[in-house]
Amino acid sequence: MKKGFETAAEKMFLLSALLSVLVTLLILGFMVILGLPLMKGGHFFSLLTQGWSPRHDLYGIYPMMMGTLAIACLGVAFAFPLSLGCASLVSVLAKGRFAWFLRKAVQMMTGIPTVIYGFVGIFLLVPLIRELLMGGSGMCVLSASVMLAILISPTMILFFTDSFDRVPKSYTDAADALGGTGVQKLVYVILPCSRKGILTGLILAVGRAFGDTLIALMLAGNAIQIPGSFSDSARTLTAHIALVIAADYESLEFRSVFACGIVLYLFTTLTVLLLRASENR
Amino acid sequence: MDDDKIKIKTDSLCFFYQNRRILENITARFAENSITAIVGPSGTGKSTLLMTLNRLWESIPGTRIEGKVEIRFDGRFHDIYARSYPVTQLRRAVGMVFQIPNPLPMSIYKNIAFPLKLAGYRDKNQVAGEVEEALKQAYLWDEVKDRLEEDAFALSGGQQQRLCIARALVLKPDILLLDEPTSSLDATSGKMIEELLLSLKNRCTILVVSHYLDQVRRIADTVAEVSDSGLSFQTFGSRRSCY
Repeated sequence: MKKGFETAAEKMFLLSALLSVLVTLLILGFMVILGLPLMKGGHFFSLLTQGWSPRHDLYGIYPMMMGTLAIACLGVAFAFPLSLGCASLVSVLAKGRFAWFLRKAVQMMTGIPTVIYGFVGIFLLVPLIRELLMGGSGMCVLSASVMLAILISPTMILFFTDSFDRVPKSYTDAADALGGTGVQKLVYVILPCSRKGILTGLILAVGRAFGDTLIALMLAGNAIQIPGSFSDSARTLTAHIALVIAADYESLEFRSVFACGIVLYLFTTLTVLLLRASENR
Repeated sequence: MDDDKIKIKTDSLCFFYQNRRILENITARFAENSITAIVGPSGTGKSTLLMTLNRLWESIPGTRIEGKVEIRFDGRFHDIYARSYPVTQLRRAVGMVFQIPNPLPMSIYKNIAFPLKLAGYRDKNQVAGEVEEALKQAYLWDEVKDRLEEDAFALSGGQQQRLCIARALVLKPDILLLDEPTSSLDATSGKMIEELLLSLKNRCTILVVSHYLDQVRRIADTVAEVSDSGLSFQTFGSRRSCY
């Protein structure tokens, strides 16, 4: 009786695991099939390298790829040290009420809808950056990546604190009893023991940074150009998909969103594989 | 007891965990260069008493102490809970060994060198010398000298515990606190640790929590029994001549 239940439960879990793998593959298949007219013409790769100029029949997504790369990489670069520091405070260095308050605040931040971050960005961050950069609209790579960093940090912080908290007490006791300071305990014992958790948090954050649509859509300005500096406006692949779909339906311009989808898919997969490979080394 | 033979003084020491009193009014004197065994039923606060001497309890939420603990360093008593007394300095002078051996996930050599790294030693040759000396003191050198780069967890339980003792010794502490150091070990390894403690007596003041009465009889100069009403001392006549 009990055994039957065990196998049934096992099968159920296997089924749901297979289903999630299947969905991922189906999405890729769907995008490839719908993007087929683009590839058939043999200009899929030229799409990846060309600029965007519908008047000249150019539907290349190269500027959007660069926009995504710039905003996502910069966002992660801002968020990673911030998250590592915050997690260190929450789980190791801060004590008592302050640590408790910080932890609760971070947990609450994970639940705030993205659009709220975008909103705050428009009304607080964009004017600030406009003042700081002295010119432009303030809707630029810098605004979007700073806000993106704030958006992806809470999840990363939670992952990091989780893995810091899981370091065996016997290790931290050893560091304490041998006269280690809080920072020494963190740097020599806790961080090396939490490498895996840090990497997992980072992978999730990178995925989220590449995939996020709303922040870039609201704050980056959406100009189709290759951003040359922090203060340039840029459009991400995701924002491009959203903007084109909202305006159009059955043109080559519309088809280009599938190329965007495929590229995003590959970006994310590649990052995850790279990080995993660096972990196994 | 003369003041110059005392290493540790506690006065009206009380310890609270979430308002429950764990230690009650402990006023005690622990003699220098002797082994004091701390005995008593479970739950009376033997390990807690040890932790009040290196302030390790401070990382446990909901705890507080009352009273005074003074330790004699360089001929003068210091209040270890004084604001001006740095806890890291205290813990470098008061080593601790736990019930379950707790090597860090690194090589044997790095485990022993770890406290030196924390204390800011830079000279590699000096570190190597100190590591060798500590391992010799802990009777471990001959067993590990050819495998110093191996992971510390590759050692047996008894070896791991001696490794932890060596790690505590490498900073040349004045005091060594041991919390049931042999209870997770087999008899032979336990005996080895007992001999080791006896050999360390002329270097350190040793406080060891123990459940085994025969072990206490073999190694202790003084027995301190913790009970709900406080701490009562009993000195073994045969070993009195030791100090």
